[in-house]
Amino acid sequence: MPFASKSQEHTAYNALFVDFMRLLRDYGVPVGLRELLELNSGFEKGIVNNLDDLFIFSRLVFLKRVEHADAFERAFAFYFYAIDIPAVVEGDYELLNTDQFRRWLKKEIRAGRLPNHALWEYSPEELMKRFWDTLRKQMEEHHGGSRWIGTGGNSPFGHSGNAARGTRIQGASKNRSALKVIGDRRYITYSDKNLLREENLRQALETMKHLKNEGPYDRLNLDDTIRTTARNGGEIELVFERDLRDKISVILLIDNGGYSMTPFVEITRLLFSKMHERFEDIATLFFHNTIYERVWKNVQRSRFLSTEQLLLRKQETRLVIIGDAAMAPEELEVRGGAINNYSDFNKPASLYWLQKLSQRFPHTCWINPLPREHWNRIHGAYTLNCIKNIFHMEDMTLGGIKGMVDHLSEK
Amino acid sequence: MTQYHFEGTDKYYLDPELKSIVNIALAMEKPLLLTGEAGTGKTQLALEAAAALGLPVEVLRCKSTIKGEEACYTQDTVLRLNDARFGTGNTERHVENFYDYVIWGPIGRAFRADHKVVLLLDEVDKTESDVQDNLLDILEECQFTIRELNETVKAKIRPAIFITSNAKRELSDPFLRRCFCHHIAFPTPEDMRQIVALHYPKTNPKLLKTALAIFYELRSRGFEKPPATSELLDWIGALEKTGITPDPAMPPLTGALLKRSGDILRHRKDDSHRKGY
Repeated sequence: MPFASKSQEHTAYNALFVDFMRLLRDYGVPVGLRELLELNSGFEKGIVNNLDDLFIFSRLVFLKRVEHADAFERAFAFYFYAIDIPAVVEGDYELLNTDQFRRWLKKEIRAGRLPNHALWEYSPEELMKRFWDTLRKQMEEHHGGSRWIGTGGNSPFGHSGNAARGTRIQGASKNRSALKVIGDRRYITYSDKNLLREENLRQALETMKHLKNEGPYDRLNLDDTIRTTARNGGEIELVFERDLRDKISVILLIDNGGYSMTPFVEITRLLFSKMHERFEDIATLFFHNTIYERVWKNVQRSRFLSTEQLLLRKQETRLVIIGDAAMAPEELEVRGGAINNYSDFNKPASLYWLQKLSQRFPHTCWINPLPREHWNRIHGAYTLNCIKNIFHMEDMTLGGIKGMVDHLSEK
Repeated sequence: MTQYHFEGTDKYYLDPELKSIVNIALAMEKPLLLTGEAGTGKTQLALEAAAALGLPVEVLRCKSTIKGEEACYTQDTVLRLNDARFGTGNTERHVENFYDYVIWGPIGRAFRADHKVVLLLDEVDKTESDVQDNLLDILEECQFTIRELNETVKAKIRPAIFITSNAKRELSDPFLRRCFCHHIAFPTPEDMRQIVALHYPKTNPKLLKTALAIFYELRSRGFEKPPATSELLDWIGALEKTGITPDPAMPPLTGALLKRSGDILRHRKDDSHRKGY
């Protein structure tokens, strides 16, 4: 029994943190027994003397990736302060769809602070502002307070300065309180579920570098040189080996027509323009809604490349298609279905070309700027699902980009 | 056992939260992995911690070509080959003595030291993932094996290990699990004021205020390479030297802040729009 000799208090810790660990897992932070044991060994060393220390220490122990940082902070606030922070940024309308918001609204109505038809009578902006104000107030009340909800108020730790036992080896804590740190939501832009933004773009790009391949034989292998030189009786013979620089060709196909894509064109081009630093061979082509017998070489769609020619590129080429895949079914399935009359009635329907591309390039991924949760609900879900059956589809989140990289790296 | 406790130095502004983190890592004897944007002072933190604790530093600057083994030791095979062929002369080397041809790498030196050292693995993300896996066992057990002799070099005193990463590549889960990880967020304007004050204690507060406002405004515009701390420091230095108080409508010397030609052009364009040219 590893904990047999420990006092009653330790058993209390264990029970307490097993629940916290479970909660973290529910919030999507991957944690396990190893971390829990480490947490315990930290307690034995007397590292934690109050809730703020616990916040920093448990974050070091449990949190390994910055994508999970926001989830960790929310879980901590929920478990130790009973404050339920929604997973959205302040100002995001997505708030209106969260449980936290709905619960809050119900409570406010029941308490008579808002009328029954608040959703009709107030603008969403006003309601959102009120929600965040309530949350902030809640956090301020806790800040500096002594009640530690979540343990029923019988906290084994005193708050700042009330260390029950052990000496404070970390020196006087001048830290900002845990809740204050959580309130900043410094890590929300790194969350895996977030859409790509300039801030997390670089991070997403770095994951691209998983794509790697061998290059030409142009690096001197010293060991083999010596070996062959010795075998030659001192006559120097140089041995070369492959460099690690990759030689992958990437073709980027961007849907730049239609209003639905407009907000994403800039960020997409930024994302892939940076790939030039890494991939020597990258081409960007454009299409409108879906791909017919030709694609365009420039944004204005004036210079074209026939899709047949595109299909002649080497098979290992990584094809990345970016588009919302939402359109009228006939655009996809009918001959001459292109809405701009770019397409010829004598040529096959778009579906045919998409299947050709998918067969030619096994490493193809369709990136959809629409969040995955909306894929089945939007207008155009039919065509989206048709295309999803042809190509591996990911959404334009950090997780989606990683999924794309994994898919494109498969051998 | 000696307790190492880090309190910051007079040249480095230490965020109290960061201080706790460093001290927890020191107390738990776990490697501390620091990630974050360039210019957040990751490497500097490790160097300052070493200076404040009075410990020598061994730095491994990682490159994509590194195999991991040379971080521990390398054998100068060319020299040995040469000696075997032409003799050692008066060098006191012996061709049959392996250790005469060993060059210890930073990890090797840190493990063989008789006193506590700070071992810094700088930009570990530049290495290949299998190299990281090799390093991780070495760091966890604080020992490595000399392949040629099958002898183990074990650390007499566990070094304080700092690792930095720019997230060039994703680090593997097992690697992360063996470290304490901390992502350094970009300094807030208040922190930044303190950082600047440490470097330029005599800067006119008005200049500093305007400069910081411009700096954070530029950062928020989403340039391809947003200006970071080091750019700000350069810029304030340049402003001080020229004696200009920056005008927010047309910041001077933006070349110190924006590095990419695309960003500079965009900045000029934005500006001329604002002035209605």
